[in-house]
Amino acid sequence: MAARTRLPLLFPKNLPPFRNQRLAHTEAAVKEPAYPPIISSLTAKSKSARGRQVDEQVQKICASPVEEKLSLITRIQRMKFVVYPQTFARNADTWYQHFTKTAYIPGLPEKYTLSPERETGGEEEQPAAAQTTVPGVGHDGFTDIRSLVTRVILLEHWQLRKRIPFLYRKQEQTVGPFLRNLVTELAFSLAKYNPLFLSSSLDIDPNVHFYWRRGQRIIPKGHRRGRQEPTRFQIDDRPIIQIRITEQLPQFISLEDSYAAEVQEVTLSPSVMPLFRRQYDNNIFTGAKLPDPACYGHTQFHLVPDRYHRDRMARMQQSDQVEVFLRANALTSLFAWTGAQAMYQGFWNHEDVTRPFVSQAVITDGKFFSFFCYQLNTVALSVETDANNPRKNLLWGTESLRLYDSVQDGEVVGLNDDVLKLLVQFLMNKQ
Amino acid sequence: MPVTRLLYPLYQLGNPQLRIFRPNWFLTLVRPGKEQPPDTVQFRTPMEMTKYDIKNYLENIYNVPVGVVRTRIQFGSNKKRNYRNQKIKQPDYKVAYVQLAQGQTFSFPDVFPEKDKTPEEGSMEEMEQKYMEDEKQRQKLDPRRGGVTDWFGF
Repeated sequence: MAARTRLPLLFPKNLPPFRNQRLAHTEAAVKEPAYPPIISSLTAKSKSARGRQVDEQVQKICASPVEEKLSLITRIQRMKFVVYPQTFARNADTWYQHFTKTAYIPGLPEKYTLSPERETGGEEEQPAAAQTTVPGVGHDGFTDIRSLVTRVILLEHWQLRKRIPFLYRKQEQTVGPFLRNLVTELAFSLAKYNPLFLSSSLDIDPNVHFYWRRGQRIIPKGHRRGRQEPTRFQIDDRPIIQIRITEQLPQFISLEDSYAAEVQEVTLSPSVMPLFRRQYDNNIFTGAKLPDPACYGHTQFHLVPDRYHRDRMARMQQSDQVEVFLRANALTSLFAWTGAQAMYQGFWNHEDVTRPFVSQAVITDGKFFSFFCYQLNTVALSVETDANNPRKNLLWGTESLRLYDSVQDGEVVGLNDDVLKLLVQFLMNKQ
Repeated sequence: MPVTRLLYPLYQLGNPQLRIFRPNWFLTLVRPGKEQPPDTVQFRTPMEMTKYDIKNYLENIYNVPVGVVRTRIQFGSNKKRNYRNQKIKQPDYKVAYVQLAQGQTFSFPDVFPEKDKTPEEGSMEEMEQKYMEDEKQRQKLDPRRGGVTDWFGF
């Protein structure tokens, strides 16, 4: 009689039941095995091996000191999207909000909006003080600052004889020097009131770089086809002037308050924004090298170039894009700068920030000033770390406000004290 | 062959009138192959048309508010060969991506919507379908046998 050489077709049904179930009282007696845990191979061609390689790399980066950490994070060059802070793309701010996981809140944080009330409380005691006082700077101090600003404006627009600027470089050649003078003199004169400025560093035309990963895609063609690839981004920014300080600015709101903020998700590919990909060395840089003691940001000043000046935008019938452009510029510049500061403190994708980082920015085209505050709550933006991460970065910002109307016969017409006050308040922000 | 009388339009002083001059250019609105933002519209345009031409064309003829126009030239394939092994070139064309202004959006319409395919009651088609379903049901194997053919059974 022939033996049954094949397994029956209904194989699992024929086995005795409860094969996979263990009895309850024997389970408790199971001892901890003395063997090392089973880990996947490091060299095999498999998904688990790849996972282990990634884990080891993450552990290696976490263990290394900051300088090495930065070089390890930025080491591998791949094609990356170059994010321009001053962009030609329409409606760039929603895209940039998604890339940086930043929620935009119109208006300034409570710190700046609440102070007038406090002032009015103080005014009752001192009726002599006019409305235009900034906390920390007295009435006299403010009049001094006012005359200083008037002097700087007049110097640039009335007293200096300037050549006709080159084509499309008017802003750079007239407003650039004005802004540099304004900020250096303001910072110098406010050092009396704000002790942070005594040990601060003021950079002119610094470079700010940031490199990060966010989102992923499946490679459509080529020899790596079908594999997951993180989308990489790089910002190369160049503010006109920036102030770095040795102590960190206080947070505007606590980390947990950012959970409720909403960031609009963009599912489209960044290349349809349009954003273009290039490959060059990945940089993370705050404007100073790592051992610099002034490693925290205070305020950045940006200039609207001629190409995006509001008059030109109006000529091109794109007046609706003026504010969008400013918002996008502030968002990317501040994210890059604050993110780089956080990276300099050793935080990165897999080690998220333990305290929020704060920076401020002022964007101007000479007459119109817009003010922005940024609070970096998270740098864990890549796909692996972003899941279940409720933190969001926050950006506060004003619309653009007019500082003065015009310069006539050696006098500044219509100098707006509110804007000036806001500017001083921004610079007076301290620990 | 009968001679038909042709009725020519009566000449009136001042004729011909009311002419409309239009460029002999044609834009083809196409469904984007790659997903685009809601305010972006994709066209195929003649090679000679510039961005400014496209902007003027859309604004003046169709009153579409145009924000920005971006163009690229798509290389037509040169890979195919004919029966004499000569290369066959597909023509190149220009693709224009138009971003609309004033917050307008556009989504390409569904030109061929799915038709409702249930046949009428009592028609020949319905009977046919029903018959086919029954027949399929009958020819299905017994699920209890786990895919083993009848040949092994009694």
